[in-house]
Amino acid sequence: MADEKATWMLSPGPHLRIGMTTRQIMWWVTASLTPATLWAAFVFGWKVFVLTASGIFGALLGEWMVTKLRKQENRLGDGSAVLTGLLLVGTISPGVPFWLPAAGSFMAIVFAKMLFGGLGYNIFNPALIGRAFLTATFPVAMTTTWQAPFTALTHATPLNTLKLGGELFSNYWNLFLGLRAGSMGEVSVLLILLGGLVLVFKKIIRLYIPVSVIAGCFAVSLFSGEPVFHLLTGGLWFGAFYMATDYVTAPMMPKAQMIFGFCIGILTGIIRLWGGYPEGICYAILIMNAVTPALNHWFRPKRPVTEGAPS
Amino acid sequence: MNFYKMGKTFLRGGIHMRNDGKSRTSGKPIERFVPKEVTVPLAQHLGPACIATVKRKDKVIRGDRIGEAPEGGVPIHAPVSGVVKRVALQPHPILVEAEAVVIETDSTVADPVWEETSDWKNLSKEEMILRIRSAGIVGLGGATFPTYRKLQLPPGVSVDTLIINGAECEPYLTSDHRLMLEKPNEVIQGALLLGKILEVQKILIGIEDNKPDVIEILKKFSSVEIGVCNTRYPQGSEKQLIEALTGRVVPPRKLPMHVGVMVQNVATAAACFEAISLRKPLLDRIITLSGSGIVDPKNLLVPIGTLVSDLIECCGGIYKDTVKVVAGGPMMGRALGRLDVPIIKGTGGLIFLRGREARSEIYGPCISCGSCLDACPLGLEPNQISIFTEAGRALETEMYGTKECFECGCCAAVCPAERPLVQFIQMSKMAFQTGTALGLAVRPGVTHGR
Repeated sequence: MADEKATWMLSPGPHLRIGMTTRQIMWWVTASLTPATLWAAFVFGWKVFVLTASGIFGALLGEWMVTKLRKQENRLGDGSAVLTGLLLVGTISPGVPFWLPAAGSFMAIVFAKMLFGGLGYNIFNPALIGRAFLTATFPVAMTTTWQAPFTALTHATPLNTLKLGGELFSNYWNLFLGLRAGSMGEVSVLLILLGGLVLVFKKIIRLYIPVSVIAGCFAVSLFSGEPVFHLLTGGLWFGAFYMATDYVTAPMMPKAQMIFGFCIGILTGIIRLWGGYPEGICYAILIMNAVTPALNHWFRPKRPVTEGAPS
Repeated sequence: MNFYKMGKTFLRGGIHMRNDGKSRTSGKPIERFVPKEVTVPLAQHLGPACIATVKRKDKVIRGDRIGEAPEGGVPIHAPVSGVVKRVALQPHPILVEAEAVVIETDSTVADPVWEETSDWKNLSKEEMILRIRSAGIVGLGGATFPTYRKLQLPPGVSVDTLIINGAECEPYLTSDHRLMLEKPNEVIQGALLLGKILEVQKILIGIEDNKPDVIEILKKFSSVEIGVCNTRYPQGSEKQLIEALTGRVVPPRKLPMHVGVMVQNVATAAACFEAISLRKPLLDRIITLSGSGIVDPKNLLVPIGTLVSDLIECCGGIYKDTVKVVAGGPMMGRALGRLDVPIIKGTGGLIFLRGREARSEIYGPCISCGSCLDACPLGLEPNQISIFTEAGRALETEMYGTKECFECGCCAAVCPAERPLVQFIQMSKMAFQTGTALGLAVRPGVTHGR
């Protein structure tokens, strides 16, 4: 029996683990986005695949380059870079040139994630920083290339139309199913919802953030008189389920998450109704990302305290 | 927040394992195993170690005293009859190396039988405590605090409730389960005696609802109350069990007696019964050998001092890809570096883990998922403690609860980044003791390839 030369693994307890690893979580989120991406390809054509590949490539390249330069261990396999690329593609128009997502996700990974210290240390959601970067540097491609479903024709998004004083696109079913102009990941509320529910079911995310984001946006859009329209358009659902719930940039305690989500919803509504952009969820989330450390500090777990002990 | 259907439980945190590995051994009756040789360490419990009273070539009979304890400790007895081979430094499961008495078993000598003493039902409190001390009984749940000291309440403190801890919340372990199933009378009698010593009004036996067979049997005893708890780790932790069964919360850095409760393990209770009624010392213990690495998992009743390697042989050996051997439960047990160490009074199990079953040694950065905050039964912040400690700022972690942590391991078990959170907390506790914080130079995760 016991081989005398054998050496045994030594470490303190616990010696078992339960639940998913970081890697499994990242790949599950990626997988849950697949239906929405496939739908985008169905509605806007095969170039969605090219743009998706481009976004993922840029993200992987950015992460690989920084780890190489800083002589760090590369963590490409954990799926977080792939996910950032995929999320960024989900927020941009299908009419952009094929290299644009790569440029955006490269900048997102390098500046918003790796320079902050890599996975876990970034303050702002990298995919949204990527989008903000693209909107600032390539405004024409980012804001005027929206396409009508099943045609290559340029067509304004419902929110664009509204902003320019046009008529409301009010076939709610088409909005819900995703038969409208819009970003690649966001058009089908149904599929985003399904993907999001998979994440909830797998206990990857909790409903506090998505529900409060949508509630906040609904509350503000009551002022427009068209709350349902606002609920079904833009990137609200994509942002609520996939962007605002990003672990690293969202607070941890339920109460903080509710406040975080509700503020995102309110800011989104305010930007939509009175701001300069037709859609505001991207900036709403980025603004609240900045508040996350404070929310984490204000809402900490409470525990019984003995006299004289610091808490 | 998790919601549970029935049963009692503590209020926050904790984890539930769908597959707790108990089914491997829960149906296996306790078997007796006596090795050819035992190594009985003189330091087996909290408090001062014993001084050997035997020397080489001395003949000993099972039950003889072989180590005398200074005040505050308990004596140690020969668990087998035979000849003392040597009294020397031997490998120790916790202290690495410590003085021990090695006894070669003489199987021709019949085991002595302990007769029931005539007076045990009428003993005074002090006499009972004395018998518990001379029997060498310590907390068998793993803490190994001398039981006689726990029973001596400081002046002015009284307890009204005695909780007998049969929760056995550690995954894989079934030794307490089998004990309650096979020797319910000893457990109950022991509980009643302990209750008499403490002059309590109420005796509760805390059991997790994954042991319905035990609950059924113990219900027949009307003298004690059964507290059925949810199967939820760490239900068997003193403070959590008290909260579940009585609703009383023991404040940080206070003892259960400060809220009028005392908790004793079921095996301790059974040992106390034998000590008081038969004057039988603590010689054996029930141990679960389990995990996917062992060929034939078993519950064994073995003499204290049996070597791990002998136990492995008794269970048909281990599979080649076993990477880790844990003494105790898989959540709070210690990984063993070698197999020629003896089991001691506090060893409740030996778990053999194969590659995929054992936790990874490689960990990633904290992704702020908050899982550890949900899992911590005390409401501490292991994430913050780990980040500060990693950055060499361990001395700033007190506000996150470093000193209150009892290292149940829930946080690290659920951490998706597989961060060794308990080890980070241990490091910061050490930093508080020494007054200096260790930085990144000392990173947790010692791997020994095999």
